[in-house]
Amino acid sequence: MTAKQWSGAAIEDALAAQGIALAPGRAERIARAQEALLGASAADPLLAMLEFQADPSGFLLALRKQE
Amino acid sequence: MSDPALLSLAQAREVPPGELVQACRARIAEWQPRLNAFVELEESRTTGVPLAHKDMFYRAGREAACGSKILRGWIPGETSAALERLDAAGFADLGRLNMSEFAYGPTGHNEHFGDCRNPWNPECVTGGSSSGSGAAVAARLVFGALGSDTGGSVRLPAAACGITGLKTTWGRVSRHGAMPLSPSLDTVGPLARSAEDCAILLQAIAGFDARDPQSSREAVDDYLQDQRKSRIAISSDWIERNAEPEVAAAVLAAVKTLERNPIEVEPPDFDTLSAHCLVVMQAEASAQHARWMRERPGDYSSSVRARLESGFAIPASQYLEVLRLRRAALERFCAQTLGAADVYALPGIAIRVPTREETGPKGGERMPRLLADLTRLTRWVNYLGLPALAVPCGFDTRGLPLSLQLVGRPFAEATLLAAARAYQRATDWHRRAPV
Repeated sequence: MTAKQWSGAAIEDALAAQGIALAPGRAERIARAQEALLGASAADPLLAMLEFQADPSGFLLALRKQE
Repeated sequence: MSDPALLSLAQAREVPPGELVQACRARIAEWQPRLNAFVELEESRTTGVPLAHKDMFYRAGREAACGSKILRGWIPGETSAALERLDAAGFADLGRLNMSEFAYGPTGHNEHFGDCRNPWNPECVTGGSSSGSGAAVAARLVFGALGSDTGGSVRLPAAACGITGLKTTWGRVSRHGAMPLSPSLDTVGPLARSAEDCAILLQAIAGFDARDPQSSREAVDDYLQDQRKSRIAISSDWIERNAEPEVAAAVLAAVKTLERNPIEVEPPDFDTLSAHCLVVMQAEASAQHARWMRERPGDYSSSVRARLESGFAIPASQYLEVLRLRRAALERFCAQTLGAADVYALPGIAIRVPTREETGPKGGERMPRLLADLTRLTRWVNYLGLPALAVPCGFDTRGLPLSLQLVGRPFAEATLLAAARAYQRATDWHRRAPV
C-alpha cells in the first residue's frame, strides 16, 4: 500500500486486522498524518539510488569509528 | 558543608563522603514541590557523588514505572548495565526521575505522574522524554543523570533546561536493563552540568556489553583528554532562515567562539531524515506495545495512545526500505556534510522553549506544529546513529536557555566533548543556575 491510498476507512480496517481498537475520531487524523509522513519519507531522492543488495544490517558496517 | 550547586562533578569527588548526599537531599526537599522532578527518592545511599536516573533504567527489586500507568508497581528482576557501572564507579543514585510516558513524548508532559516543570520557568516545558533528568541537573539537585535518546530525549531536556546532554553513538552504551522504545534508534547517555562532567559519566558507562546485542566492540576513548582543535561545519544561511532569531543569533555567536572561520556547508535534509526516523520509531514502538495496545489501550494517555496507533499504519515494506537506506544516508552525511570537518554545528532546538500549555492537550491548532518544530533538529541524528551533544549557549529575552548542538562522526564522542569543553572554558553559560 502506498501513502496515497490511506483513508480513514483503510486505517480502521488495517488496525482492526491487527487487533487495535481506535480511539473515536482517530482514523481520519491518522490517515492525514501518515500520508504526509510516509510521503515525505518516500520522496527521498536517495531511494532511487538504493542498491538492490542493500540490507538493513549494512548500517552496522558503516557505523564504525572513522579516524 | 559544601554547597552542591557550586561544584563540578570532578570537584565533588574531592568532598568528604556523605557530605554531598546530605546537601543534595536538602536541595531536593526545597525544589521538588516546584519541579516534580523525582518520582521516588532512594534513601539507602549515603556516600558518593549524587546522581539520579530516568525511571526507565531498571534496578533489581525496585519499581520502574517508565512514566506509565501500565508499569506502575512493576519490579524488575535485574539492574541495568548503565546503573551497574555507575554503582561500580562509586556514584550515589538518589532515585528515580520523572519522564514522558514510555519515553514517547518530546515535552515532559505526564498525566500519570504530573508534568515535570522547567526550573527556569515552571510554565515552560522541560523538554522530554528525560524531563526529570533535565530539571534535576539544571536545579543542581544532583551532579548528573542518566537519560535515553531515541529522537532527542537527552538533547531536548538538556537544551530546554540549560545543561549539557550527550546523545551517544548507537551501540556505545549498553541498553541492557533499559526500557526499549525503538531498538534501532535507542541510545543511553548522560545529562550533566558541563561537558567535562558528561565526559566523566560517559567514561563510567561506555563500552561493550554482551547482554545488549547491538553493543559495539569499538574501543572506548579517553573522554577527558584534550584533542586537536576541531574543524566546525555549519549551515549559517539555513539557521538564519529557519531558526527563531534569538536562537540563530546565539548559535552563530557560539560557533564563532569555537572557530572564527567555520566551514559553510549545505545542510542535510533534516525533514526527510526526520521522516525516516519517525517511520522507524513509530513502527518499532507500536510493535513493542502491541500486546498492551490490544489488551489495555485505555491505560495509555491519549497522546501516547495516538502516537502508538499511528505506528500500526506504517507499511512493513516502507519500514524496511528506510532501514535499508540508512547506510547510504550515513555515508552521505559523513562524506558530504562533514567532509573535511569534525563537527557539524546547529541549534539544539530551532525555536525558543515553548510553554507547557501551548504544547499540551489544550494546546489547540498550533500544538502539532510546535511539537514538530521542537524535534526538527534532533530526530535526524538518531536515524543516522551519530553522537550529538547539546551545550547551553545563552538565554532568550524571557530568561529561558538556548542551546548549541554539536554532531560528530560515529564514536567521536571524545571530539564533541573536547570541542564543548573548549567552548565552556571560554564562556560561562553552563555555570548559570536557576534560583
